[in-house]
Amino acid sequence: MTNMTDPADPMAPAEFTDIVTHEAHATLDDQIDARLKQVRRRRIPKFGVLFGATFLTVLLTLTIFADFLPFIRSADTKVRIDGKLMSNYKLGPGWDAWWGTDGNGFDVFARCIYYARYTLWIGLSSTAIGLLVGGALGMAAGYFRGKTDRVISILVDCLLAIPALVLAIMLVRRLDDIKLDYTWLGWMTRMWQIILTLSILAVAPLARIVRAQTMALREREFVLAARSLGSGNLRILFREILPNLVPTMVTVAATGLGILIAAEGALAFLGLGLETSWGFMINANRNRLEKAWWATIFPCLMLFLTVLSFNLIGDRLARRFDVREAAV
Amino acid sequence: MSIGSPNNITQAATRDIAGPLLELTDVRTHFRTPRGLVRAVDGVSFTLDRGKSLGIVGESGSGKTILSRSIMGLLPTKGTERSGSIKFAGAEIGDKNRKQMRHVWGKEMAMIFQDPMTSLNPLMKIGDQIAEPLRIHLGMSRADATATAKRLLQDVRIPEPERRLEQYPHEMSGGMRQRVMIAIAMACGPTALFADEPTTALDVTVQAQILDLLGEQRRERNMSLVLVTHDLGVVAGHTDEIAVMYGGKLVEKAPTKRLFAAMKMPYTEGLMASIPKLEQPSHSRLNVIPGRPPDLVHPPKGCRFAPRCPYASAKCIEEEPPLTQTADDPSHSYACWFPVGSPEYHEARARIAATAGVN
Repeated sequence: MTNMTDPADPMAPAEFTDIVTHEAHATLDDQIDARLKQVRRRRIPKFGVLFGATFLTVLLTLTIFADFLPFIRSADTKVRIDGKLMSNYKLGPGWDAWWGTDGNGFDVFARCIYYARYTLWIGLSSTAIGLLVGGALGMAAGYFRGKTDRVISILVDCLLAIPALVLAIMLVRRLDDIKLDYTWLGWMTRMWQIILTLSILAVAPLARIVRAQTMALREREFVLAARSLGSGNLRILFREILPNLVPTMVTVAATGLGILIAAEGALAFLGLGLETSWGFMINANRNRLEKAWWATIFPCLMLFLTVLSFNLIGDRLARRFDVREAAV
Repeated sequence: MSIGSPNNITQAATRDIAGPLLELTDVRTHFRTPRGLVRAVDGVSFTLDRGKSLGIVGESGSGKTILSRSIMGLLPTKGTERSGSIKFAGAEIGDKNRKQMRHVWGKEMAMIFQDPMTSLNPLMKIGDQIAEPLRIHLGMSRADATATAKRLLQDVRIPEPERRLEQYPHEMSGGMRQRVMIAIAMACGPTALFADEPTTALDVTVQAQILDLLGEQRRERNMSLVLVTHDLGVVAGHTDEIAVMYGGKLVEKAPTKRLFAAMKMPYTEGLMASIPKLEQPSHSRLNVIPGRPPDLVHPPKGCRFAPRCPYASAKCIEEEPPLTQTADDPSHSYACWFPVGSPEYHEARARIAATAGVN
């Protein structure tokens, strides 16, 4: 008993404070304070999300309003100073062109900002398609089990077995050919090809996570309760299970977005993506890295920071919603 | 099937039907598992009249939950073998599939679960959860459903129902949530309500309130209630009849008062003896039934309780006793060769007392 109320014992529960003597109060309070500080310190700082959110907000604002912002040149206007074309990496980072000019005399900063449009759009829409298709497949597999599950699981496992980049390269190439054979696919620009490819990459991991979650949720008592009140399968899926899946889906989507953006950069770097892409800029200027580092490093930095931001947000969400995911 | 479509079982039809509301004949529910066939429910028969309440009592693994879910048809279909007949309001429902049962669930039969913390959807407002069955079964408009939901919350004695409708389950206490569950279950005016350990997860002080509420709603709505529990104290004041289950079988069934006064099964006696008494001095040892519940894959050959029964003789281990009616009261039946009060029982008791004295 004395051991329990001993103020020197840091494990003494707070309820015992009213039993200990008055002098002991102060020391115990101090200890509780120290304990709280320790707990606060141990908590992972929110700096990460804050940085990620700020960076993405600034990037999004700049890229959306780029046309109206006076300090951003058009991406397709060559920089001229006193009538002279600033091509061949003539301008380094400085006042006239913040991040210098590239081989053709284009403003690297302006291009980095404008191209964020394509990057973000591709990332967002392929994640959305991935969520829609992967989510539907995962929910069907996890809820109905049996044959449905077997077919979907085999499909997903096959997709996961092929290295992502190889699959992406294969798909983009293949879509090039398919596009030529079928005239009704005329709407499919290069950008849609990439979106389609990346969404196929996103489907498999999302389907897997959603399937696992659905399997756990369908055994929950509130689902049984809903069934015992006469709810049908669709109603249970959409009213009971889907809302409970949202935290997981959002978390995985945030992390996945970063990965897809990196993949888009990789495709562009390999010459399979858009020419209006950070990856393409990196590829075009990398031979001159020693002489004109700015033309390569700044697009690299943009890609890096964007992916990092999404990952930081994703990590925070995962911790918040307690989502334990396998490496996507 | 005597009636054409599942829709024929409507409230109106079951409200004034003659004969028992629920009639079970030799219901068996077995599960195929890697260990073998688990005989969770093994030949249970009973009837339940309109507006009456039945308590199903037994320890963990006695099959009481599986029995109630078998009646509701809420068990997984895979790996489950069901047989026997379950008649609800005169119509066979034991052989119906999920699609057909959907018209019965909620509207005719509803269920309340053990843990109100997990049986409500955490992401849906209370109001929407109550309104859902109303909209599914009765096709109510949103406004009508909300009004009815409010009235239901009042019925289950929840103060400030309007504010509660807009709240999420985590904003309520366990007792409140169980009240909400009861409101949801009663939304469509079912004729039979199954309550599966409705008070086990609740605070003792709230238990009585919830049980009183259930009893009150049963009387008001002329609803049949099946109360599944391991706690004889719970059923004592709240049911008309009690059925005691052991090892997947019904071992004794009697009107509540009679069961407490003149139990026949040594198992029931053991259950009664294990209830702590107020007049006992503090720190007195609790009476327990020694041993553990039978393995339902390989149940004992004779009476399933024989291995744990203090009065068991050779006959008990070899032959299974049938469920028989008592001579003086046909509503009281039991399955035991040497029931409490028989000469053999007294003999065995004397023997036990003698050996206890020697030690």
